[in-house]
Amino acid sequence: MQPFTLKYAFPKGICQAVTPYHFDPAQQLNVLPNGRPAVSDPDLLLAVGTTTSTAGSATHFDD
Amino acid sequence: MTVLILTSEEDVTADMVVAALHGTGTPVLRLDPADLPGKAVLSADYAHGDFDGHLSVNGHVLSMGGLRSIWVRRPGEPAAHAADPSPWLTAETRQALYGMLHSAAARWMNHPRNADQARLKPWQLRVAHLSGFAVPPTVFTTAPRLAREFVEEYREVVVKSASGPPPDDPQVALPTTLIGPDADFAAVAAGPALLQRYVHKRADIRLTCVGTRLFAARKIAEPGQVDGRYGDTGHAWQPVPVPDRIGKSVHEYVTLAGLAYAAFDFAEDEDGIWWFLECNQGGQFGFVELETGQPIAAEVALWLAQHRADRRSR
Repeated sequence: MQPFTLKYAFPKGICQAVTPYHFDPAQQLNVLPNGRPAVSDPDLLLAVGTTTSTAGSATHFDD
Repeated sequence: MTVLILTSEEDVTADMVVAALHGTGTPVLRLDPADLPGKAVLSADYAHGDFDGHLSVNGHVLSMGGLRSIWVRRPGEPAAHAADPSPWLTAETRQALYGMLHSAAARWMNHPRNADQARLKPWQLRVAHLSGFAVPPTVFTTAPRLAREFVEEYREVVVKSASGPPPDDPQVALPTTLIGPDADFAAVAAGPALLQRYVHKRADIRLTCVGTRLFAARKIAEPGQVDGRYGDTGHAWQPVPVPDRIGKSVHEYVTLAGLAYAAFDFAEDEDGIWWFLECNQGGQFGFVELETGQPIAAEVALWLAQHRADRRSR
């Protein structure tokens, strides 16, 4: 029998978003193609949604 | 003295803190335990009545003697990226890494022992009671009859997961959901159900606590909206002052729980009461800072860079 709580689960779809930055081992943070830190572009970070309260839920439930 | 940040490479919220630490000239080492062994290297010596250890990754090196603080942010499972990963290798690597870190004299945000306890949602409700928060009536049960009686008593009830969506199925969402007395409660016997009286809210509150600093943000809810994490209401997070009574309860909570960092979720009802929903010991704050401009990352960096001892850090 399926647990009661899981009756209210639904598929959220496959995330197609590609983050326009990559990790720079020297600076120890993610950088944009122009070399600037990704955090220098708050509008971009909001658009890609990687800082939201559900962004890490696949591996961390205490978001 | 160096700050150690345990997190994944893709964690851009951690980037905000790394950038703040760079700005103050504070040495930092960022390491994902998933990269150990392999990209990262560890060595710890327990000899001659003394202890020393080293961590290195991407050309950055940290000595345990120079370790100032540890931020447990979004660490991967130890050895997850190893060439031949296995549960045994993860267990061995966890012993080596965390055993070494626990041996060092460093401050933790948050200490793993306290973090493990703080993740227990039913325990959170008890601590919230003791801290003076308003807490909606809640039941956590495997008894269908008790679940049905709870819903019949409070009529409007939500069901929520205590541990989040199934970890083996990342494509599944499991939001807090409103249920009624006509639900089929037989399945409660197949798994513990967390049921809570629904709070008719006019706004969601996210309160981030960093050491003793509090940052509260408010987002207007749509009528009937249940889970603020899902669905776009068209409203943005706005900074709001922290009521004195709430501030005292937050400080009481984090003291009881031994937390240096916590992100609280409240539902603000029509009378302006902030109802405690949960406390996320590792809660996200990037989205709040980006929308409100509240300097949370700078405060986290400041806490990590401080020298003074904190009784909540051990």
